[in-house]
Amino acid sequence: MAAEPIADSGPADSGPWRLALRRLRRNRVALGFLGLFVAIVVFVIAAPLWADHVAHTGPNATHTLQRVTVGGEKRDVVNPEGKPLGPQWFGAGGKFFLGADSRLGRDEMVRLMYGGRTSLIIGVVSALITTILATVLGLLSGYYRGWTDSVISRAMDVLWAFPVLLLAIALGVSLAIGGLKIGPVEISGGSIWIPILIIGFVSTPYMARPLRGEVLSLREKEFVEAAVAQGAGSMRVMFAELLPNLWSTIIVFFTLNIAGNMLLEAGLSFLGVGVQPPNSSWGTMIATGNDLITSAPLLTIIPGTMILLTVLSLNVFGDGLRDALDPKSKVRFEAHAGVAATGAPGTEGLEELAR
Amino acid sequence: MRKFGSVLLVFTLVAASAVGLAACGSSSGGKEGGTLTGSYASFPDYLDPQLSYTSEGWTALWNSYTPLLSFAHASGKAGSKVIPGLATAMPKISNGGKTYTLFLRKGLKYSDGTPVRASDFPATVERMFKLNSGGVPFYTSIVGAEKFAETKQGGISGIKTDDKTGEIVIDLEKPRGTFTDELAIPFVALVPKGTPAKNLTADPPPATGPYEITKSEPGRGWTYERNPAWVKANGKLMPQLPGGHVNKIEISVIRNDSTQVNEVEQGKTDWMQAPPPPDRYQEVKNKYEGTQFRDESTVSTYYFWMNMKRAPFDDLKVREAVNYAIDPRALERIYAGSLAATHQILPPGMPGYEKFDLYPHDMAKAGQLIKEANPSDRDITVWGDNEPENSEATQYYQDVLNKLGFNAKFKEINADNYYSIIGNVNTPDLDTGWFDWFEDYPHPNDFFQPLLSGESIAPTNNSNFSQTDIPELNAKITRLGEETLGPKQEAEYAELDKEFMEHAPWAPYGTRIISTFVSSAIDLDKVIFNPTFEDDLTSFQFK
Repeated sequence: MAAEPIADSGPADSGPWRLALRRLRRNRVALGFLGLFVAIVVFVIAAPLWADHVAHTGPNATHTLQRVTVGGEKRDVVNPEGKPLGPQWFGAGGKFFLGADSRLGRDEMVRLMYGGRTSLIIGVVSALITTILATVLGLLSGYYRGWTDSVISRAMDVLWAFPVLLLAIALGVSLAIGGLKIGPVEISGGSIWIPILIIGFVSTPYMARPLRGEVLSLREKEFVEAAVAQGAGSMRVMFAELLPNLWSTIIVFFTLNIAGNMLLEAGLSFLGVGVQPPNSSWGTMIATGNDLITSAPLLTIIPGTMILLTVLSLNVFGDGLRDALDPKSKVRFEAHAGVAATGAPGTEGLEELAR
Repeated sequence: MRKFGSVLLVFTLVAASAVGLAACGSSSGGKEGGTLTGSYASFPDYLDPQLSYTSEGWTALWNSYTPLLSFAHASGKAGSKVIPGLATAMPKISNGGKTYTLFLRKGLKYSDGTPVRASDFPATVERMFKLNSGGVPFYTSIVGAEKFAETKQGGISGIKTDDKTGEIVIDLEKPRGTFTDELAIPFVALVPKGTPAKNLTADPPPATGPYEITKSEPGRGWTYERNPAWVKANGKLMPQLPGGHVNKIEISVIRNDSTQVNEVEQGKTDWMQAPPPPDRYQEVKNKYEGTQFRDESTVSTYYFWMNMKRAPFDDLKVREAVNYAIDPRALERIYAGSLAATHQILPPGMPGYEKFDLYPHDMAKAGQLIKEANPSDRDITVWGDNEPENSEATQYYQDVLNKLGFNAKFKEINADNYYSIIGNVNTPDLDTGWFDWFEDYPHPNDFFQPLLSGESIAPTNNSNFSQTDIPELNAKITRLGEETLGPKQEAEYAELDKEFMEHAPWAPYGTRIISTFVSSAIDLDKVIFNPTFEDDLTSFQFK
């Protein structure tokens, strides 16, 4: 049973997804930032190539007492005063391109690339976990209402009552030593799955609540009544009728969740309860650089900039995606912006509304 | 012989007069009075003498809480000398080293005006036991103490006191050569009988020393003021202890160590307890050495322990290989000049220390030993805390283990919980890890009994992390521990050091160098750095 078509102002012969894609293609800023995000992904995927063929070292290999030759001159990777080598660019054949990371003399560029992989994996996988949990809970809560809604909503309220970072820190600290054991599944304390699960879990209420609201609204629509009248069961109504109408919201949330979760991972790793050393993530790299911030500030600035660019690209692209999938929200926003700027409804917004 | 005695008497009188004058605050040069401001990077574990067991805590408590005996307020080796504290003289040791008799000085008072009584001593020891303090193992050899530790009732039968004469008699189960030192550490610094057996960090007990803690805000800071009882009575009764120069000391917790450096440079703070952070250490040293900054050697050993009861470290060849593979020069660089490489258990400055290195860095030899050992279990968990330098040292160690062909995983634990986690033998995967040990008192037994004797392996609060249990060496530790330290014993401890390193339970890599850094207003030359208590707050004086 086809769902009620998503509201759209485009030609009648175009599907909603095709229309969304067309709108997205017109949004050059969003596409530009999508390009930036793709470039970052390619950069981190290339980590083993750079490590094996250019830097000739792994991300965790230490070089405290080693020396590199730059223009015929031998330089300490870590000088006797404990200061790591600065960026060498291609002076040492690509080795220590961004310098050494700490008094351990690890290659900063290699760690940046591998650290980016870790940060992106955590961001994407935890966003997937959040999305799956939030969608299921939002559907159950919004569709069944009653005690199901009460139980799920109160549980979400409990989670929501804790500041997200504090909750994540508390979980991170308690799981850091013994790890996690649920039935046959056992995850060691240093595993990357610990921050992934924590972040995925603590972010869930922030997505489940809006989805529940949308389901509450959708379940009153005629197409749901029609499906029920035709004998569709609860599961079919939820997953075949309601879910397709939530996709646009879910996709936008997913994109924005990746950015938010990467920031949370960076915060947790900076505080020592995220990714465990010696493995790198951009958050742990900032923490390591923080110890040398006065003598080698680039060690903090570079991974910080990578986080900034990644989160910015995902947020701008996510906004573009939202505008493409749900043009009403853009119209509402622009109309509101027009009111805010001129004290009267903005003409652009009104024109769009008129169209 | 008689002439020598007269000379000695004259010398003693002159020395006593000098000390007395200094204690009265009339020393030449420098200003008396004023408020000293200091900073700590974190609040000490406790501001309660029966509980504190960190060098930060002992620095904070030394000049407020006085035991029956004390350590000389001096730098270097002179600061390791045990001198009378609240007691009139050093203990009379009888009954084959099992009975210690001391007399309390008459007229002593606590800062709240309560008289100090001999019966406060057993009350203090009992309070420590009731609090399950980390200091308990030092005093379980007192007759009846083991039973009291279990029941917490009925008193400790091995301590007898007489409030009228001030006599205190302590009976031990067996001779204990370290007991004189153990009577001089803060665990047994007297507090009034009836002091609640609970953590009094927020409201520290009354003091007997020159300064009392008048305000304590855990996590934020604390303040000392001159102890009125010291001014009226205690200072005159204990002329061997300095009275301090400043009138008030305000300590605040500043968690950012770079900010602490800035504040000392700008004169906003007069002293920082922790050394400057590694990335500023050399800058500060180059700029202020000799005027405001001074390196200070500690009596400490930094090491990687290897659990001798678990594969692959149950194989001597593997442990030897690790010792050959560790390069102390790399670790010196990681600590950025604040560590001096050593490769043995006893550190420089400890009686019995004789320099040797059984395992000079040789990666090829290490590889050969691993090849010969061919361990079947190559999955190793490496434990370390999250203090930046220690964490980096452990990551270096993990990399060395991986280079030797192991699959080593680093488990980093918050420094606040690290000891309790690795001290619990039921914690899974306790294969190997990092630790440091600073002297509790200047006696080599302090490095062998708790850290390497099989008798010290305990289910919780275990400090024998390598779970070393070598019967002949256990017996030697016990025997030496019962003897009073002298040249013969020192030579035996030096030999014991080598014997343990032949079994390679640890890969020791250095001894820590810390620093004293003060503002330009403070006279650095007068600041005392005691090997046990570190910076002595009574020695700080404004120029």
